[in-house]
Amino acid sequence: MVTAKKTKKTHESINNRLALVMKSGKYTLGYKTVLRTLRNSKGKLIIISNNCPPLRKSEIEYYAMLAKVGVHHYTGNNVELGTACGKFHRVSCLSIIDAGDSDIIKSLPGDH
Amino acid sequence: MVKFLKPNKAVIVLQGRYAGRKAVIVKSFDDGTRDRAYGHCLVAGIKKYPAKVVRKDSAKKTAKKSRVKCFVKLVNYRHLMPTRYTLDVDLKDTVTLDALQTRDKKIAAAKETKAKFEERFKSGKNRWFFTKLRF
Repeated sequence: MVTAKKTKKTHESINNRLALVMKSGKYTLGYKTVLRTLRNSKGKLIIISNNCPPLRKSEIEYYAMLAKVGVHHYTGNNVELGTACGKFHRVSCLSIIDAGDSDIIKSLPGDH
Repeated sequence: MVKFLKPNKAVIVLQGRYAGRKAVIVKSFDDGTRDRAYGHCLVAGIKKYPAKVVRKDSAKKTAKKSRVKCFVKLVNYRHLMPTRYTLDVDLKDTVTLDALQTRDKKIAAAKETKAKFEERFKSGKNRWFFTKLRF
C-alpha cells in the first residue's frame, strides 16, 4: 500500500503547508473534534498520523467518505505530527477547517 | 463537506439501551434546541429484529416471525454511527417531536412505524437494515 518511499522534499513541503495553516488558517486537533467537524461538514481536509489505532483510523476514513472529505495519512507518528503543528503535545488526527493562505487542500487530496 | 446526517439515513445506535440497533434518522437538529444544546436527531429504530424466515414455515409462522418491534428516540449525534445506507420511509408525519411528550403518543408513533417497517421488510427491500448487527 506504501508507494515509493515518500521523498524528503514532499514531506517537508507538507510540513511547510501545515505550518502555514497553523499560522493563518483554522483547524482543530484531536479525534473528538475531527468527528464533530466531519458531522457538521466544516472540515475540509483530515490528516491522520501513522500510529493512529486502526479502528479509529477506519472510523475517521468512513466518516470522511460519507462527507466526501479528503484524508491524508501523514508519514510520521503522532509525536511528529504534533511537532509539525508547532505543538508540544502529540496529535493523532487533525482537521483543517479553513486553510487560510495555504494551498494544502488543493495540493494534497490528489495523492491522498 | 457534504452533510450526511440527514433524514432517511440509516444509522447504528452506539450507546444506551438500544446500543447496536439500527435506526433511521427522521428529523435532525444540527444546532440543538433550548433543552438539548447539542446536535441530535430523532430516530426510529428496531427494538426487536424480525426472525429468519425459512421456506418450510407455515403462513402463520411466517407472519409471527416477520414481526418488528420499534422504538422512537432522540439521540445525540455522538451516540450514532452513520452508515452509507438509507431507508426511504415516510415517517415525517407519524414520528414527531410532539409524539415524545407523553407515553401513549410515543406508543402510537412506535406502532405506526412498526407497520411501515413490517411492510418494508415483507417487500424484501433494504435487507441490510432488518438484519441484526452481530457483535
